[in-house]
Amino acid sequence: MAILRIVAACGAGLFITAAGFMLAKPQDPSPETPVEVSTDTSAAELPVSDPSCTFFGSNRDKFNGSRRLIEKARLTATVADQLPVASDVMAAFAANAASAMPSAPGGSRTDTLQHSANNIDKYLFQAMSDAGVAPAPPTTDYEFVRRVTLDLTGRIPTADAVTSFVNDSSFDKRTKLVDALMASPEWVDKWTIWFGDFLQNNSQNTQINRNILGVVAFNNYIRDSLTSGKPYNQMARELISAAGASSYTQGELNYIVGGYMGGGPVQDQFDLQAANTAETFLGISHLNCLLCHNGRGHLDSLSLWGYYTTRQQAWGMASFMSRTLAQGTPNGTTPPWSVQNTRVVDYQLNTTTGNRPARCSVDANGRCIGATQTVKPTYMFDGTVAPAGQDYRAFLGQKITSDFQFARATVNYIWEYFFGLGIVSPSNQFDPMRLDPDNPPTDCPSDKNPCTLQPTNARLLNALAQDFINSGYNLKALMKEIANSRAYQLSSRYTGTWDPNSQTLFARHLVRRLWSEEVADAITQSSGITATYTNANWNPTTVNWAMKLPEPRNTGGNGTAASVGFLDAFLRGNRDDQDRRGDGSISQALDLMNDNFIMQRVNSTAATSLIVKALAMPNDQLVSTLFLNVLSRYPTAAEMSTALQNLQTQSTRTQEARYLYWSLFNKVDFVFNY
Amino acid sequence: MADEIYHPDKYFQDPAEEFARKYPHHHRTFFNRPDFTRRRFFQLAGAGLSGSYLLGQQAAPPVISSQNMATKNTAKNCIFILLTGAISTRDSWNLKVTPDIAASVVTRMNPTMINNVNWPVGIFPKLGQHLGDIALVRSMSSWALVHSLAQTWAQIGRNPAAALGNIAPNIGSVVAIEKDTERKPGQVFPAFVALNSGGGIGNGYFSANYAPFRLNQPNGTNGTAGIPGTTNANGQTVFNNMFSRLHQIDDPLRTNSPYGTPLQDYDAFYSAAKGMMYNSAVTQAFTFSAADSQRYGVNNAGNSFGNACLVAKQVLAADQGTRFIQITLGGWDMHSDIYGLQNPNGTNMFTLGPQLDSGVAALIDDLKATGQFDKTLIVMVGEFGRTPGISGAGGRDHFLLMSAFMAGGGVSGGKVIGATNADNSSVTTYGWAGSSGAPAPRYVRPEDIESTIYSAMGIDWTTIRYDDPFKRGFEYVPFASEGTYGPVNELWS
Repeated sequence: MAILRIVAACGAGLFITAAGFMLAKPQDPSPETPVEVSTDTSAAELPVSDPSCTFFGSNRDKFNGSRRLIEKARLTATVADQLPVASDVMAAFAANAASAMPSAPGGSRTDTLQHSANNIDKYLFQAMSDAGVAPAPPTTDYEFVRRVTLDLTGRIPTADAVTSFVNDSSFDKRTKLVDALMASPEWVDKWTIWFGDFLQNNSQNTQINRNILGVVAFNNYIRDSLTSGKPYNQMARELISAAGASSYTQGELNYIVGGYMGGGPVQDQFDLQAANTAETFLGISHLNCLLCHNGRGHLDSLSLWGYYTTRQQAWGMASFMSRTLAQGTPNGTTPPWSVQNTRVVDYQLNTTTGNRPARCSVDANGRCIGATQTVKPTYMFDGTVAPAGQDYRAFLGQKITSDFQFARATVNYIWEYFFGLGIVSPSNQFDPMRLDPDNPPTDCPSDKNPCTLQPTNARLLNALAQDFINSGYNLKALMKEIANSRAYQLSSRYTGTWDPNSQTLFARHLVRRLWSEEVADAITQSSGITATYTNANWNPTTVNWAMKLPEPRNTGGNGTAASVGFLDAFLRGNRDDQDRRGDGSISQALDLMNDNFIMQRVNSTAATSLIVKALAMPNDQLVSTLFLNVLSRYPTAAEMSTALQNLQTQSTRTQEARYLYWSLFNKVDFVFNY
Repeated sequence: MADEIYHPDKYFQDPAEEFARKYPHHHRTFFNRPDFTRRRFFQLAGAGLSGSYLLGQQAAPPVISSQNMATKNTAKNCIFILLTGAISTRDSWNLKVTPDIAASVVTRMNPTMINNVNWPVGIFPKLGQHLGDIALVRSMSSWALVHSLAQTWAQIGRNPAAALGNIAPNIGSVVAIEKDTERKPGQVFPAFVALNSGGGIGNGYFSANYAPFRLNQPNGTNGTAGIPGTTNANGQTVFNNMFSRLHQIDDPLRTNSPYGTPLQDYDAFYSAAKGMMYNSAVTQAFTFSAADSQRYGVNNAGNSFGNACLVAKQVLAADQGTRFIQITLGGWDMHSDIYGLQNPNGTNMFTLGPQLDSGVAALIDDLKATGQFDKTLIVMVGEFGRTPGISGAGGRDHFLLMSAFMAGGGVSGGKVIGATNADNSSVTTYGWAGSSGAPAPRYVRPEDIESTIYSAMGIDWTTIRYDDPFKRGFEYVPFASEGTYGPVNELWS
């Protein structure tokens, strides 16, 4: 999950006010001298790593694609080594299929060859071939059904879904599976959470309180949009331009509300709202930097476009927010929020205090010099000025969604989720001057500037963006294109020597640890014991799946449901300053071994529970049933033999069966999506 | 010379290459360093991971170089308290009473000269009685004015945006990896424990063995019986049976690993987790009585900081392998109403200060009572300082100049290093000799504090490990081999 609002932006801390804005330079020993703010583009160059830049805080691993790349590659390699040998598993499927359905073969995928017209495969396999890197083998059927079910719906497949898929001999079973998964209600659940993360729907962030009622309204807006198949450009326009009296009844208001910023003049709020919008819908988080200072001297080695762009231009974008009045009801910051377009003045350059450097030249007394300048709303990428009398945010929404970059950024965010790595990475640091493969950057001003095409496959990214536009900004069409590609369906196993730097070719699938909600729901689903999560403020008030929780803060359940502690241990983030993470931890191990959520299911005597049903079967079926339900595969011959030995020779069969069941939650292939 | 050392470009040039360029005859250049194949990388990165770290064994150690510095080596353990939000040091460790502070506030602060230190007894009464144990560094400067960047900087001891900054481990993880060979059989605690530090920096590129074990302490005086999840509903015997079944069914699958033994972090977490279960040492270390909690300043209403200090003391006393504990206490970003004149019950110096005061004072008391104080280095810093002037909102904004609070572990109590002017807007005396490559006069920097911690713990701060994934060499302290930063040795004398 890529996006995270840069709360600690160039502005979350207050800068020196009357004394002048101070930049911290690594200079000693003279005491710091105040420096006057200037928007002069010829200002002296500062190192890009100047400490006043906020980019690299505790979320720094987001901002370095190579770190995550190496970590993910390493994790992929080590997890793949821990998986059972694929041929052993397929042999087990074949053995079981042979006995159950004599006419069905072991199952093999054949239909993806039909998708040679798929843009993804066309570009990626060519790139691999050019680089002399062999792709990983294709996923076996059991790998694919589990992976795509998790990626699309956040669930592991049921035992029946696994066996029927593997045993199905139809040539187009994979495309049919993808269609069926996307038509399921679980697809909506999963992507409501994904967009909830993306749009940062939480009840309380660093700046404001939305209240759980605001969260629920926002959550239901997202859910309804996904259910109805709303085109994504329409959804984006709605979010950017939303206006109304109550964030409790009009969920989409909560997006703009999230950019509220206090502790300074209202221009700080316009800046944050504009910065969030640029990051979310254009993948350009550098706007946030440019709202403090010119790009030159700061963004030199991060963005060629940034190098050439000025704070003045950034103000033009922020000005689109200048008529927006977001306020709590009945007073300033108490939810519900109203969002109206009732302010009367464009963006004024008359501030000397607050969260960002002064927006004017400042005299010795800390006051603005000269008459107040005002900046009209100007779309910085083509210079268009919003006509007078226009609804500024509606106009901005229109400009953004018809910008090719909107399609490109969106496609890249979604790609990053499915592939574990964006075609542009980090996915929120697009450099508009380095994206066109027919016009690669040349003659860069200095050797500090990045001077290569930014996307690892620029033509692929553009082709996908165009496909997305052609589909009417249809999210399902995009996901279908991805999930049906041979490239997505490559295994995480690799034969031969693997170089982690090949990951940008997508020659091998990256493993990922399951989300918190996926872990909890996999345990629930496979166990046959329902979980119940309840909160009187939710709508509906009771749900049975963690993937239906409206936000990852303070929500969990008790009794049969996963507790807050369990869900938090798997690092679901808070949609504010803590991103969702795939790290492991000792606490996760302790929870998977000992938490009541697991143990009540291991120890269950309920007739409907998986373990009780399995105990009623002969030993080999018992073992297979447990494996199929929890791990979505048959046990290998070695696993079966070990398990049978224990069941047959140890003191209590029931006990051994429960031990085995417990073990499966703690095997590495449970908690990873490979 | 000063300009050359402090050239900003230093931050994103390869320091090793620069160093090699400067000293072409004595050190191997980048291209002459051992070239680590991918397999070797995993072996090296897996050092300490093979089997369980419980055994304190390592695979072949990575190539390491250093300048063979003489370390102070007086501290066995370190407690690192990060005051996020950035505490106002002119209202705490470097008190300045200026006319712009309301008279009622000054009275409440009760500035008192103790051992030549003007101390706000009204905010930190108990620490005021410990000034003979505490050293203050008043000439420290942060590099950055932004919370997340500066907090990261303080925890990794380098610019997060510079070379290797993005994979740099927490200082605690460096301590953990350095002390790994000192683990005794049967020690089950992770070397690095992070209390109330959910957003803190982790192990960077180091393996998961050196990751902080994160635990949040509860508010209130109810205590807690151990760490949640360290017992199984079916009891210990059954748990052990289940655990052995897990390995029976799992281990044979790993024999096709080219690395032989399970090197993955996943297994490391499981080994560590199991080691902490059914262990009375664990239960004891993380359980506390209401009385103890109150002694650390926790009342029924809340505040978990005191409990974190209490648990830190207990964890170290258990001597179960923990060597570095990070505690985070936030709320110091007092841009408005820093003295509680508008809202006495808000978060201000008079409400948050006493929490800190009680917790740290009790910690010092208990460490002294058990003879551990001289072996336990306490370091307390914010991410930067706060402005000399009071803002329009009645608070103080961000400012680079700050102070550090140090105690124990060989630190000379009562020492004050450096001085600032009447309103803490600039340094008047730096008060230390600087470092070999960057002598006085200059500020103390987070990198110097980092060097101090390493030296106190017997770790050569000029160490470079050649096991990082970028093959550039990871320096414990940036440019330390050139002496750009170094320990504040004035703290010891």
